[in-house]
Amino acid sequence: MTAASDRLELSRLVHRFGFGPKPGEYLQLLAGGIPQARAKVLARRFDHGLNALVTPPFPNMGQMPIHNPTANAAYWQEVYTQSLSLSVWWLDRMVLADYPFIERMTWFWHGHWATSINKVTYALPMKIQNETLRTHALGNFVDMSRAMVKDGALIYWLDGEQNVAYSPNENLGREFMELFTLGVGNYSQTDVHQAALGLSGYNVDQPSGTVTFDPKNHDNTPVSVLGKRQVFHADSLSDWIVSRPENAKFIARRLWFRFISTTVEPPASLAKVFEQRDISLLINAIARNPAMRRPQYSQAKSPVEWFVSASRALRVTPSRLPESVGLTWLLSSMGQFPFNPPSVGGWPYDEAWLTAAAIPYRVGLANNLVQYGDLAPLTSVPKSKIVQAAADWLGVAQWSTRTERALNQSVSDPKQLALLALNAPEYLVNA
Amino acid sequence: MSPCDFNRRQFLKYTGAAGAATMAATFSMDDVAQAASVTPLPVGTPILVIVTLYGGNDGLNTVVPYLDPDYLSNRPGMSLDASQVLPDLGSGSDNIVLALNGTMTGFQSLWAANKLAIVLGTSYPNPNLSHFSSMAIWQTGSPVEEISSGWIGRYLDGLPHDPFRAIGIDSTLTPLLAGNNRVGSMVPISGLQVPYGSLGTQLKLFAKSSHQDAALVADAAGSIADFYALSSTLTPVLKNAPPTSASPLAQQLDVVANMITANVPTRVYSVSLSGFDTHADELSQQNVLVGQLSDAVTAFLTQVGTTPRANDVVVMVYSEFGRRVAANGGQGTDHGTSAPVFVAGNRVAGGFYGEQPSLATADLNQGDLLVHVDFREVYASMLEDVLGTDAGKILNNWSKKLPLIKAAA
Repeated sequence: MTAASDRLELSRLVHRFGFGPKPGEYLQLLAGGIPQARAKVLARRFDHGLNALVTPPFPNMGQMPIHNPTANAAYWQEVYTQSLSLSVWWLDRMVLADYPFIERMTWFWHGHWATSINKVTYALPMKIQNETLRTHALGNFVDMSRAMVKDGALIYWLDGEQNVAYSPNENLGREFMELFTLGVGNYSQTDVHQAALGLSGYNVDQPSGTVTFDPKNHDNTPVSVLGKRQVFHADSLSDWIVSRPENAKFIARRLWFRFISTTVEPPASLAKVFEQRDISLLINAIARNPAMRRPQYSQAKSPVEWFVSASRALRVTPSRLPESVGLTWLLSSMGQFPFNPPSVGGWPYDEAWLTAAAIPYRVGLANNLVQYGDLAPLTSVPKSKIVQAAADWLGVAQWSTRTERALNQSVSDPKQLALLALNAPEYLVNA
Repeated sequence: MSPCDFNRRQFLKYTGAAGAATMAATFSMDDVAQAASVTPLPVGTPILVIVTLYGGNDGLNTVVPYLDPDYLSNRPGMSLDASQVLPDLGSGSDNIVLALNGTMTGFQSLWAANKLAIVLGTSYPNPNLSHFSSMAIWQTGSPVEEISSGWIGRYLDGLPHDPFRAIGIDSTLTPLLAGNNRVGSMVPISGLQVPYGSLGTQLKLFAKSSHQDAALVADAAGSIADFYALSSTLTPVLKNAPPTSASPLAQQLDVVANMITANVPTRVYSVSLSGFDTHADELSQQNVLVGQLSDAVTAFLTQVGTTPRANDVVVMVYSEFGRRVAANGGQGTDHGTSAPVFVAGNRVAGGFYGEQPSLATADLNQGDLLVHVDFREVYASMLEDVLGTDAGKILNNWSKKLPLIKAAA
């Protein structure tokens, strides 16, 4: 007999540090015990699941054709098609991966350095940023921060290409400190202004995301940021800010917030783990925290997290779903689509996802997915065991008696049972 | 389509209504549960209707300084002359004669009845020229600090949970209505139908909370309860779908009028109209849109004007920015700064507020209009004098407001 706390901890491991179990995975991991399961969830291996991934080309679209309405329409159509296929490509990755931890971390960092294709427009710069985030997702934050402060999509998103020495634009400098590295209250308006001068002169070619540095537009006089006076450039500024002790606290809190709790503060010791800015050390410490076994640390799944975990369970590949499923429309209607965060502040969390308006879209999308999904985990068990089989299949720690009662009405109809289980409160929230 | 045309509504439209057909197969208007016992909103309770114009409406071709030589010289070929505007509204404190765009006869009648306030030169300090950023500033109500909650969402934060209190007529959550721990409800024009048959009845079993639920699991169950409550109340109310020939805004306001008439306990409604990003061939597009705005709002006020709620409703209309004073090379205008905000209704003290920004080159800031009114002055009036709540708590201690709303009789 497995302890309830083991089921809970494993449910959190597979849903928060991955994107939910593939069929059979939850019981298999449970049988091996939590330490072994944790090691598997947090492992980085060559991922055979990704052999099936098809990466479409994201060519440099160049500038819009001038004075040619026909070419213009075709150009924007292609830009738009690329932006959609980029999002679906990433969803495919999340769904197909056997070791989704790295995707999960990349997804976290996408919300952290939240950049929207809504303004960036082109797929290529967003794809480059996505690869940068994946490269550094479990690396060192010093390197990640250096790479991101020179990332074309991020610079364009925060008006960095308008930031020139004679007319500084503070947007990137401000958000860099407020949202990406230090947190509000750990810098002054003067620091923002001087940091903007340090970041001046970086140009972006919007369609390709290529960044060039123009020394003529860079402020080459010493500026004072957080008490240090020198001529700053992107790398030196990033290094100096990230070296501040506030950075360790801030990043530790951000990870805790998204992986453990949006309401309970992390232990003070967590920031110490991040002294060397080693992201892997930090997230491993979080995954081993005793909070993982305590009931009060539940978190709601965001629409993408819900969709990806459902697709993994049903063995459907997003890019292969027919258009009639309405994936992009339904997911957007639920309020979340990859590469399209609502603001530089990233995605909302918890209660914001548990709205009445989302329900018809979620039920509709689940209904469409179930039509194309593999229901073997339910059809292969006797009716008397199908409700528990659904919990094991989906990696749900435990159904409440309320949910059991509802699911018991569909034991003869596995399709409807699956549809209901995917919409049960215990599946919408990772308890 | 240009990149500037991207906004959330169009994004959704473009991503394809392909799913709509499959949704229709699952959800039904006929499967109406009994109307739930919701406490009706007492007559006399003020209601705020917020109209968002996406894309940046050209204030200068809406409330038009048609005699101003600077207006004419800045906009060759796309200025409106005396024959294309309505009779003068008069001039504000600045002596610039203003008249409404010729398509806005409805607003002209509201003005004549003293039910239309025009807040001139409205924006915020250091206007941002990005659609995305500027709309975020207006919707969060926070020009200085970047925050993620909407100003109406923060109004909800201070009150007990009630899925009816603020409703947006759309399918996706408007950032305006997203608070820190409360969220307004979104209702598509077609309503919120529950799934057919056994799926509908079994899904409803999830609405019950369980003593085994963690707090968020209980919230998830609660959202399902909200869904059924909203659906059972609104589905009968919205049975008569608005004519699809009407403009999108008129359709949304038709839904709102039906809900108000049915005493649905909603204090704030959010509706919108898109397409104002007129970088090219502005005249033809913008005339149609401001005409739709004027017609839809006027018809809406006329409709609720025949009910006991005639004096309860206040409509506020804004866009993320106005447009550049000088026309660009394509008979259009680029992103600008300040523009008029409209506030309409029987409770409104009609007239001009603020000041029409001067169009003289020396008075412009890099080709853009100066800002004379901070939009938070309008928001504070709406929060305090329509919604009866402390604006400072919602607008980060902002307290300045305008006397837009008459004291209750």
